[in-house]
Amino acid sequence: MAPIDRSFSRRRFLGGSAMAITASALGTPFVRTARAQAATFKAGVITSLSGENILGGNLTKQGYDLWADAINAKGGVEVAGDRFKVEMFYGDDQSSPATGADAAERLIVQNGVDVLFGPYTSGSTIAVQPICQKYQVPMISGSAESPNVWKAKPEFNFGIIPAVDTTSGLSLGVLAKLSKPAAKTVAVISVNEPFSKETGEGFRDGAKAAGLEVVTYELVPPEGDLTPVISKIAALNPDVIAVGGHEEVLLNVVKTSKSLNYRPKALIMHYGITNPAFAQALGADADGTTGVVVWLPTVSYKDDVFGTAKDFAQMAQKKLGGEPDYTAAACAASGLVLGDALKRLGKKPALTPENRVALKDAIAETDIQTFYGPIKFEKDGPHYHDNIQPVPVLVQIQGGKTVAVGPKEAAAADYIYPLPAWK
Amino acid sequence: MDLFLQTLLNGLLIGGVIATFTIAFQLAFGVLHVIDFAVGGWVVLGGYLGYYITAWLGLDGFIAIPLAFVLFGTLGYLIGPVLYNVRNSRTARPELMALALSFGLFTLLRGGMLTAWGFNTRNVTTTLSGESLAIGPITVPLIRVVAAAFAAAIAGGLFLFLYRTRYGLAIRATAENRHNAALMGVNIGRLSANVYGLYAGITAMAGVLMGAIYSVNPEVGLRYTLFAFFVAVLAGLGSVEGALVAALLLGVIEAFVSTYVGASYSLLAIFTTLFLVLLVSPRGILRRGL
Amino acid sequence: MALLPTNPQWRGLVLLAIIIVVLGVLPWTVNNYWLRIATGALMWAGLACSWNMLGGYAGYINFGQSAFFGLGAYVTAFLMGDPFGLPFSATIPAGMVVTALFAVIIGAPTLRLRGAYFAIATWAFAEVLIQFASAMDFTGGIGGIGLPPYLNERFFYFAMFGTAALAYFLTWALFERSRFGLKVKALRDHEPAAEAMGINTALVKLQTFVLSAVTASVFGAIFAYWVTFINPKSVFGGDITDQMVVMVLLGGLGTLWGPAIGGVGLFVVNRLIWMYWGDTAFYIAILGTAIVLVVLFLPNGIAGLFARRKNDALDKVMDKLVGTGAGGHP
Repeated sequence: MAPIDRSFSRRRFLGGSAMAITASALGTPFVRTARAQAATFKAGVITSLSGENILGGNLTKQGYDLWADAINAKGGVEVAGDRFKVEMFYGDDQSSPATGADAAERLIVQNGVDVLFGPYTSGSTIAVQPICQKYQVPMISGSAESPNVWKAKPEFNFGIIPAVDTTSGLSLGVLAKLSKPAAKTVAVISVNEPFSKETGEGFRDGAKAAGLEVVTYELVPPEGDLTPVISKIAALNPDVIAVGGHEEVLLNVVKTSKSLNYRPKALIMHYGITNPAFAQALGADADGTTGVVVWLPTVSYKDDVFGTAKDFAQMAQKKLGGEPDYTAAACAASGLVLGDALKRLGKKPALTPENRVALKDAIAETDIQTFYGPIKFEKDGPHYHDNIQPVPVLVQIQGGKTVAVGPKEAAAADYIYPLPAWK
Repeated sequence: MDLFLQTLLNGLLIGGVIATFTIAFQLAFGVLHVIDFAVGGWVVLGGYLGYYITAWLGLDGFIAIPLAFVLFGTLGYLIGPVLYNVRNSRTARPELMALALSFGLFTLLRGGMLTAWGFNTRNVTTTLSGESLAIGPITVPLIRVVAAAFAAAIAGGLFLFLYRTRYGLAIRATAENRHNAALMGVNIGRLSANVYGLYAGITAMAGVLMGAIYSVNPEVGLRYTLFAFFVAVLAGLGSVEGALVAALLLGVIEAFVSTYVGASYSLLAIFTTLFLVLLVSPRGILRRGL
Repeated sequence: MALLPTNPQWRGLVLLAIIIVVLGVLPWTVNNYWLRIATGALMWAGLACSWNMLGGYAGYINFGQSAFFGLGAYVTAFLMGDPFGLPFSATIPAGMVVTALFAVIIGAPTLRLRGAYFAIATWAFAEVLIQFASAMDFTGGIGGIGLPPYLNERFFYFAMFGTAALAYFLTWALFERSRFGLKVKALRDHEPAAEAMGINTALVKLQTFVLSAVTASVFGAIFAYWVTFINPKSVFGGDITDQMVVMVLLGGLGTLWGPAIGGVGLFVVNRLIWMYWGDTAFYIAILGTAIVLVVLFLPNGIAGLFARRKNDALDKVMDKLVGTGAGGHP
């Protein structure tokens, strides 16, 4: 302990500064910063910039930013003959739903955003929905593929990517048609985490619908070791292994099966293989891996902000240093939906609460063509407010590049099946 | 039967893998009496070194192993005295403050790595990655054998070092009773720094192997911390030989439950086992914990 | 400071009154975002207090406190959903009972363990619950459970405020002002000696453990209703316990107000850093640095700075007012 005479002054100092800090903290909410610049539309991005979903979180942020950059380069969003720039605000949900809700409240109340762009994860999205409802702020989600997101019929939330149960299910049917001799059996590995599990269930149910036999359905914890599961599947020797998981597990599935010298005739994964880091990390071992996407740079769609899908890919390549995947594309397309709805609404910033409700209604009426494909939201049913227009495309990594292999009309290369044994 | 044998092998090798980053942790606990949260951080640092060695220099990942020891051993040697001073400070609960310090270090490492190296999952390539050996109906993944051999070598080396050298005697004396050791002329502060450096170096070496067997990103550290803690407690804190037994036990349980019951119950099973063993045998499975 | 009475006893009481008044009118003076932050801060202050009951006063480091927070959250989510549809207020006692049962079953054997073994055994228990909730269907599995949204921010603010106030009052009355508190501190300082004095240490520890667990469960219940969506990681996650531990250590272990200072301080600082540097992961590094600096330079916690005050002011006034004095201070 410090001598008494000193501790008195120190205590006083600390007490004084504590009071000062408290006073300034309490005062902060009342201080208004002067608005000097011209009127802008304010958009808030909630996503995972830290925590376990950081990779996908950054993909979504990059996608939303690409739209903001593109539209601002054109002078802004066109409303009633004028153009208004878009200002982006960000809130990290720390990969936790509770923080996502905090972030939404902050962006709406503190930053006064007119509209939100939704989180990467479905869990955060579900936690943010009630806040959007409370403040009547529309939210456009360029990710959040879990079907659970749409079950509660969120009035203010709209999804650009089809829920994963619609895509992963269909993909196995496409694969069965492409394979010669036709694949008959499938083993499903489903990582027990949100999204991954629903993907795995989509594979399982889709396989049955496509007439494939599911020899085993393995639900694995994300932290678990995969050797026991792969050994078990190797003993059952199915034609296809289908995996619902995120990047890290997908990588580990390939590494583990190689280290056990087991290769199925086809290995299909839903998400992550289109991230360049996947092929880069695995090198030649990534070759042959099949993936499911709802968008590729080679699709033939276009719009007047980004141009063709290829133009968009080039712009993304320049800004991000890698080929964009469908999450980034869908997030950028979220911006197009907003731009279109604002234009139809014809109200200048900042939007009044009534205008935001009208904006929500305008978004619900969206029916546009974009570089990402057609966008139109469901008006009813289990996928309420989700855009289930895009059809899944099968891609395969061939020589380190992702190429479309099916269905027939989208294919740019032949499907390699069965996969050769590990060298 | 084939699957049974394969599962047994898988389990033993998982155990070997877990042991790589637990053995040195036990040594550090024995001497410093600090539950070090940063253990997962050292693993991840080692993994990234392996990645940069392979991705930037195009070298074999194994080359990163000695480098990891030198680099992170030195870093640990520098951090060790700080941890030691906090652990032996005159606060009310120094062991808790040391734990908080290591938690702060772990958080700092994690945030630093996320900022500096981004969030992509990385892979360490070695000549033995993906290679396997067929023995009858069983497939043996060689990289895991390397890890298990590494764990055995570390355990054996530490054993020789602790029981056959004068410095090892000083370490054991300190672990047993630091006051008496100090009275016998052991410089506890410096010894602690050395032990922490040794531990950090060995754990980072294990991290290179983890990057080769699994993959590495800044967020996986906590998983290794969790397993290190659990194995250490199951083993009896500070017990190096217990760590081997406990790691093998957990590995075998994980493998058998995954294969025969369902993988989603594997971690439930090993955490429940740990909990129950602690209730029956509070000082670890060999009853040798501190 | 000059505005406050010079008599230290009255000064403490006036300070407390000011805090209560400020917190009471806060919902009408700040906007909803700051109210939300305040709600979170009160929750963390209360959770830190619950952890401090066992960790600070009894000296048992519980690494699995999130298990009880999560139990409260899950019981509420489960009972408010189909097919039960109970009102929120009815789910809280149910959560308390379930948590108390778990705490007794888990506490009785684990409290025999010492030090790090107890810490890690409790962590294992929390991990068991995460894995269980993830693997089972009736818990909603990994997909979690949604709750009917109730969007009254003030309701949640006052729910957290009331619960936290009650938690601090209980801590003060039981641990600072009763024979029970003396027993708890005695066993913390020297368990065999406490036992030799005739204290039934097993019982006292278990009582403290259950009290601490039940307190955390009430916060879990309010949290679930507030956030409207829970999954195993969001309420059982180890990071929840980590935060409680760090908050208590920063604030001052085993002190009445330490957890409040640490809880509010860390949460608010975290949110401020997150607001201004939130678009990168750099704030995690800043947070880590902050923890390291506090450990190195404020090893007795922030409350340690005011340590000499510990036994005067507020305590004495309260003593006179309530008259539950346990017979002076050691």
